[in-house]
Amino acid sequence: MVSKKKKKYSSGEGAQFMTRKAALKKLQLSLKDFRRICILKGIYPREPRNRKRAQKGAGGIKTLYHTKDIKFLLHEPTIWKLRDLKVYQQKIRRARAMREYGQMKKWLRDYPDINIDHIVKERYPTFVDALRDMDDCLTLCFLFSTFPSLQRVPRDQSMMCRRLSVEFMHAVIAAKALRKVFVSVKGYYFQVEFEGQTITWIVPHHFAFQPQSKDEVDFKIMSTFVEFYTMMLGFVNFKLYHSLNLVYPPKLTAGFTSDNDKDLVDEQAYVSERIAAMNLSLARVAGSNEAEELPEIDLFSTEDEDPQKLEEAKLEAEKVKKLKTMFKGLKFFINREVPREPLVFIIRCFGGEVSWDKDHFVGATFDETDESVAYQIVDRPSMDKQYLSRYYVQPQWVFDSVNARTLLPINKYLMGAVLPPHLSPFVDKTKDQVYIPPEERELNDPNFKPLDDDSGTEIEEASDEDAEEAEEPDSDDDETALTKQYQDEIKEDTSDDDGEGDDETDAEKKKLKKEKKKAMAVTTGVTHKEHPYQKEIEDKQAFRLREKLVRKKHRNLYKSMKAGQETRKKEIWLLRKKRRLHEEKIKEDKKVEKKNQKKEAFENATASV
Amino acid sequence: MSIVKKKKHVSKKNKRDWRKHCDIRDVEEFLEDQRLEERLGKFDTKPDSELFVVDTAGNDDPPEIDSKPLSAKLKKRKKLAEGPKCFEILIPDSKVQDPNAKRNHVNPVGFKPTSLSKLTDKRRLEKGVYQRKVEQGRTNRKIARDKKRANKQIHNVLPERRLRARPPGAQTLTRAAIETPHPGEHQELLQDVVTHEQRMIKKQARLYRLTTGMFSRVTAAEQEGQWLEEMSVGLATPHNPAAEPEGSDGEYRAVNPPVRNKKKDHKARRKQKEQLSSIKSSEQKQATVRTKRKEKQAEHDASAPPALNKNKTPVKEPDFVDPATLSGDLRHKQAEHDASAPPALNKNKTPVKEPDFVDPATLSGDLRHKQAEHDASAPPALNKNKTPVKEPDFVDPATLSGDLRHVTTNSNLLRDRFESLQRRGALAASKLMMKKKRKVKSYFKQGHKVTDQDIQRYVNRTAGKK
Repeated sequence: MVSKKKKKYSSGEGAQFMTRKAALKKLQLSLKDFRRICILKGIYPREPRNRKRAQKGAGGIKTLYHTKDIKFLLHEPTIWKLRDLKVYQQKIRRARAMREYGQMKKWLRDYPDINIDHIVKERYPTFVDALRDMDDCLTLCFLFSTFPSLQRVPRDQSMMCRRLSVEFMHAVIAAKALRKVFVSVKGYYFQVEFEGQTITWIVPHHFAFQPQSKDEVDFKIMSTFVEFYTMMLGFVNFKLYHSLNLVYPPKLTAGFTSDNDKDLVDEQAYVSERIAAMNLSLARVAGSNEAEELPEIDLFSTEDEDPQKLEEAKLEAEKVKKLKTMFKGLKFFINREVPREPLVFIIRCFGGEVSWDKDHFVGATFDETDESVAYQIVDRPSMDKQYLSRYYVQPQWVFDSVNARTLLPINKYLMGAVLPPHLSPFVDKTKDQVYIPPEERELNDPNFKPLDDDSGTEIEEASDEDAEEAEEPDSDDDETALTKQYQDEIKEDTSDDDGEGDDETDAEKKKLKKEKKKAMAVTTGVTHKEHPYQKEIEDKQAFRLREKLVRKKHRNLYKSMKAGQETRKKEIWLLRKKRRLHEEKIKEDKKVEKKNQKKEAFENATASV
Repeated sequence: MSIVKKKKHVSKKNKRDWRKHCDIRDVEEFLEDQRLEERLGKFDTKPDSELFVVDTAGNDDPPEIDSKPLSAKLKKRKKLAEGPKCFEILIPDSKVQDPNAKRNHVNPVGFKPTSLSKLTDKRRLEKGVYQRKVEQGRTNRKIARDKKRANKQIHNVLPERRLRARPPGAQTLTRAAIETPHPGEHQELLQDVVTHEQRMIKKQARLYRLTTGMFSRVTAAEQEGQWLEEMSVGLATPHNPAAEPEGSDGEYRAVNPPVRNKKKDHKARRKQKEQLSSIKSSEQKQATVRTKRKEKQAEHDASAPPALNKNKTPVKEPDFVDPATLSGDLRHKQAEHDASAPPALNKNKTPVKEPDFVDPATLSGDLRHKQAEHDASAPPALNKNKTPVKEPDFVDPATLSGDLRHVTTNSNLLRDRFESLQRRGALAASKLMMKKKRKVKSYFKQGHKVTDQDIQRYVNRTAGKK
């Protein structure tokens, strides 16, 4: 007997996919509702491997969904809610058309809410899962918190975003979780670390609302995203506050409660309220102690663990520990012209105290006249009245210090100074074989001697220019000395209570020790002399032997890896060389120019005589 | 009962033929019937009871009700009772009876408790093994019941379909939500900006060429002049001596004077020849140069490492771009790339990062590898609309303000987010929708009741609106 003929596309990729139209039909939803439920449930259109087959032979490009996903949506209880809403919408529409406004208001009042708690729990089974997906959430919430009430965006949404974003910032402050900051034309990039997950988000500049054109962005869709994200951020905030022993919800100033009748109409007033709220410390759960410091890293002696890596991790942990208390005990005063929001957030994150002009904005904690202020942040070239007891620095100092994880020397950031480059801290550690321009290397490594290394080798006529050039590296040395001195000073400041008599006693002790050592000395033995060159050769040979032992399976991979390394090395070398030549050429040009100038001057002088 | 056969014309001339072709079956049948009658007696005289029988078959057993075919479930249930098919082979299927009717049946081991098993049973009972088993079963059953109860949830499907394997969790987007700016590729980014801007300029030029540039412009005065000229064609114009040609001597001249075959003199011919030869020689030179270059290229290709990407090299890009030298065209749109171009926080200094040259990665690299990379980074095609390409965020250093308060951006963060979602595949690409403003045409409906006053009022109102 002949078996029944199999229908085309009843199995395989043809059966796996479903067009959006088919999905709408299957779910019995309108396109609007379908979009909404898809965003809420995190179901996205898919790209098939073979489009022709997936579209069952139809041409063009259609939006396709996995059949599996649509079947999954079929089980969602909120679909029924959406259908209920449809009834309400019809009723409201009808009442409006019939001009029964009382009735319409009643329907609007009773308009049911959709609860999406369970969807958040379903999409993020663990807290870490939710943290992993926070980038988009935070960026959108911070952005929407700047929006006034708009068409197509629910009225309370921006208010909700305001509250949640401030709450999150407080959690970051309490956990001292901020790690990196970057200022760009787009906004402020912040990176925090919670539970080993790094979260990055962008905050637009000074929370100004840019008029958005409806044609470019589908507000309805974005608002649906925000609807889900606010719910998620609520969950995350709650969990964070609990893990930090804080009371949730925190009591913030009046501007953040939606039931408040008096809305803050003035944008500026709202912003200052928000910043003032950030300057408060939160209530802790009764009986809880301060957030405990992270314990030191436990060392597990595993065989495959690289000791160097362990060391690096230890160093990193040490640095982070230092970063967390970087501004502790320091008082900052922010001048009027500086955007306070990011600075207050950053300084508070690392334990500093902040204040501002109390005549202009609410929430100031101390005055400008306070003598204990350590730093005043200014963004103008000069000031009439200056205090000797504090440093006047530009805001970039704060950002760069955070990225460098230490208090940078202020000499480059003083008021009116030409600032060093503000480089992005988001370095990909996995790509270590890249060319780093000398400026950046200098930033990263204070011991790095840039460019002028070869100036000493150049021996030319001992003219005045050369003498000037020779001075340049000296000035660099001066700078490094300055930074050292500065860091020493800070160290002294922090460890003032150690007492100053220690130095003398230390010297005496050292002397004693030396003498004792001398007394214990035995006749010098003949050391086994190692030929470094010989050793190098042996090492190389051993390495080659080991290379031979690479399995056949991995040999090609190994070869390509090695080749890649070689090419990258070459690239770096080439770029360095180019740079060097470029620098030399510039120098030469300068010299020639100077010479010409001198010649001209000389000629002029002789001519005049 | 005789089968009527088609008659054939056959000869019945002879006796043998007569016998052969004559059909005597009806006679035979008749005779046969007669013989039967003689044997059994006449049909008419027989009583009914001998001729007919009352059919009582099926009267005793109950009438069969035609039932529906069994459902799949019931069929399965039915099968449950019967033994498994694999055991059928063990069942004796012979219809022959066992010749030894008194065959000795041996009970299998374990059929009857032996004294030893009785002992072990007793020991186990004392140990409480059975008790434990019972308890365990009870708890297991309870756990199962609780689980079933806990899993009860409201669904919009019928209860018998509810038990379905849980689908995998929500899809996660693999691409990063926020592309963190990377330091140290300033020159590359500048290069990107330049190429992007060049493309835009080219696009704009094309648009101009195909729209505004296609039409010549005529000012109002020119148009007026043209009109006047056209309208006054054929009209007698007043005599204007200035307008008359200089060499006019009253002689008649044709509008299109006949062409004369004027011969070239020697000098002209020589010059023409020279020109032609010079053109030819220059072309030849170029051709030779071209072939030479080709040869060279071929040589180079042969000697170059095979991994070199051949179809990429010819375009030579400038080694680095100085932001200060960006052309004015570029400037009006431009912007500091947020990755490396730091928003110089102070105005009185240049944007800081020194050129660090174009990376040579663009010059080499396996083509296949690049293709794969491109595929991985290509925007998802979820729709007929194209996914928006990320435009470089760049602010011209010259337009940068000195302080943080006046940072100017050319990017809209919300739009950036929206497009990022599209690039990551969370949304299908959307088309820019320009809403057309509806033009409402108003008119005055005329009727028999319309008075002049009504018309005047309407006119006034529309004038007021304008």
